[in-house]
Amino acid sequence: MAKLLIVDDSTMLRDMLNYALNEGGYTDVTEAVDGVDGLEKAKAATFDLIITDVNMPNMDGLTLIGELRKLPTYATRPILVLTTERSDEMKAKGKAAGATGWIVKPFVPEQLLKAVNIVLSR
Amino acid sequence: MSGFDISKYREMFVEEAEELFESADNVLLEAENNGSLTDDEMGQLFRDVHTLKGSGASVELTLFAEFTHDVENMMDKLRNHKIEFIPEMAGTLIDGLDVMKELLELEVAEELTRETFTEMTTELLVIVRAYINGENPSVVEEIAPVVDIPEASVESSSDEGFSGNFGLYDQEVDESKFNVSYGFFNDDEIGKDNDHYGFFDDELSEKSKTAITPIIEHEENEDFGFFDDMPELTPTAEIKANNEDQEKAINNPKEEVAQVPVQENTPVATGAPKSSPKRAARAEKDTGKKASTSNNIRVNLDKIDLLMNNVGDLVITNAMLTQFSTTIEDNKTRNSVLERLELLERHIRDMQDSIMSIRMVPMESIYSKFPKVVRDISKKLDKKVEFKHFGDNVEIDKAMIEGLTDPLMHIIRNSLDHGIETPEVRVSTGKEETGSIIISAEQANGQMIITIEDDGKGIDATKVALKALDQGQIDENQYNTMSDNEKAMLVFGAGVSTADEVTDISGRGVGMDVVKTNIHKLGGAINLDTTLGKGTTITIMLPLTLAILDGLDIAVGDQKYILPLSAIVESLQPTSDMIKKIGDGSQDLLMLREEFIPVVRIHQLFGVEPTFENLEDGMLIVVKSGTTKVAISIDEFLNQHQVVVKPLDKNFRSVEGVGAATVRGDGSIGLIIDILGIINAQMKIERTMSPSQKAS
Repeated sequence: MAKLLIVDDSTMLRDMLNYALNEGGYTDVTEAVDGVDGLEKAKAATFDLIITDVNMPNMDGLTLIGELRKLPTYATRPILVLTTERSDEMKAKGKAAGATGWIVKPFVPEQLLKAVNIVLSR
Repeated sequence: MSGFDISKYREMFVEEAEELFESADNVLLEAENNGSLTDDEMGQLFRDVHTLKGSGASVELTLFAEFTHDVENMMDKLRNHKIEFIPEMAGTLIDGLDVMKELLELEVAEELTRETFTEMTTELLVIVRAYINGENPSVVEEIAPVVDIPEASVESSSDEGFSGNFGLYDQEVDESKFNVSYGFFNDDEIGKDNDHYGFFDDELSEKSKTAITPIIEHEENEDFGFFDDMPELTPTAEIKANNEDQEKAINNPKEEVAQVPVQENTPVATGAPKSSPKRAARAEKDTGKKASTSNNIRVNLDKIDLLMNNVGDLVITNAMLTQFSTTIEDNKTRNSVLERLELLERHIRDMQDSIMSIRMVPMESIYSKFPKVVRDISKKLDKKVEFKHFGDNVEIDKAMIEGLTDPLMHIIRNSLDHGIETPEVRVSTGKEETGSIIISAEQANGQMIITIEDDGKGIDATKVALKALDQGQIDENQYNTMSDNEKAMLVFGAGVSTADEVTDISGRGVGMDVVKTNIHKLGGAINLDTTLGKGTTITIMLPLTLAILDGLDIAVGDQKYILPLSAIVESLQPTSDMIKKIGDGSQDLLMLREEFIPVVRIHQLFGVEPTFENLEDGMLIVVKSGTTKVAISIDEFLNQHQVVVKPLDKNFRSVEGVGAATVRGDGSIGLIIDILGIINAQMKIERTMSPSQKAS
């Protein structure tokens, strides 16, 4: 069973992500409320996939990815960024930060699962 | 969004949005007052609004999200110093948040049409978009076409300037094709789903890779350390050249690239060593500052109540055990058991305190709602008001907040509407042009005391009393004997208002009696002190918590009840000369230091067989709620102890005078007396007496 970490400062979005992932059979999902929390939780356990929001208090998602990539455990593990910004610039930033891919918010559950399935099967 | 119960998430969003609005409002209010915004504040504003947009869109509030996008855009530009903050912007942004709130409300209620939306937003959008374009709308207002330019660009970047809903940057190091960097599944390859996702992938064809390539800014390229770390990668220079060559050509024609911010404030996070320490340091700083937020969890209050109940049961069990242990015959064993039980009791008390502290939240959480209200109303009424609050850190039971916010809000609205005068009137009466409303909170004598003070025109006690007399709430006799303050207190009666005109701000006086009722529901009392021409001070006294109270066991006949200690003024054994009878002789009055206090025979009220006939043979306890006092006649008082308040089950018919229940140490149920109920019952009895009886 793949272990997932979702990082978002919105309780509602965490809930929605969690729900969609559960529906897709991913039941081992941990939630973190911001980058700092996410980093702490990522260090405390090994996750197969991390999905993070970009704009968050305390530590933003891009910084979080940068920090995670420095850790041997997460140097190559998949990390997806959730972004409301649909611009290519945002995608470039996600890529530059070291993200594996991006998912646009609002997300469609099927699409989210598709992305997660693809990234986990590689 | 299929598979989702959207309404559930909308509910969550509305709750979340309220907090975000409040946070953003307060930053902006301060900005409006100071005329400045710090980078931190702008960052927070942007984040708040950004979350509102993102989450709003996620629960399919499309119109809300559409408008919010523009406000977010403006905040984004401010945050990145693309446009510089000027004080007028604060007002615009506050208006923006107001419109967002209205849109949210309407859209959640499914009452928002495109027409209403346009009507509500057009005017403000002109200003917002002018600011976004770096113009000052107050200067260029005459130039109408200004609207169109940003509209086109903004809309395109939000609606069409987007190629998919997810994608993957490939970074599989072991794959040989990795060095061709990244690409993109364009629409043709993905088919129907293409609207929602795409991939950056090494396996993509040349065609798709070149079809849409992310725009990489120079600044970011310098930070493009990710690929640098990988020896297999194509030199970044090549990618960059590639990108620059194709940048113009490959853009989706609908997308206004020029509108995409050229540089972001947020540094791009990479693995590049040069930028890492700096970023880490910044993150550390931020963490230190706001560490508390990430350590917080949201817990449903019901769960805490349950925990509190559990501990209550523990207290009871402990008391039972203690009682039982006293029957142990062997002295040595008994004493050591009791000693250990005492230790247990202490631990349970500590636990009780800890749980109580979970329930407590700072008053700040109530206060934070007020500055916005004061600002809006004073603006509307053309009044100048300074709002101050003290005791932000004084803690209050979370369960009380809900019941307290509305009454406080109503009092403040009233002060603004009827209390504070217009600047002209104030100046003409020798007052400062700007009025003031001060709210403060403190804990004293095991009570929470909240005062709301204004320096307005005060309440015309005579006018209030005449109105109350007119409505038959008081009789002429009462009118003649009441003090000015007592008359002013009549504003808490139903339907009494001093305002000659009905306004939409505080209405026509249907509110103050609700305020009083609400405060009473919380077990509190409200007091009013007013001086005509000088101002009004309203004092609210509340118990610190609704979950535990200090109680006194009283014996009435063969029954035992619990009296809240906070309501007790004094207790005494009356002598016969202190008791006066009125009416047909059934109503007793206690004469205590020149004051007549009606006596309530609990026996009668609760139908308990009395053990004595003459009041002198029992005890009297004087209790009060607000300013009303009654003397309760009882057999005797027993011990005093903390009780865990348990609400009476809904299956029980509500009995006037009984508020709640608790479980005693011996496992028996104890009914807690509701003082207000007793007083009300007493008033009813008094009212049924004819005037002639009263006069005798």
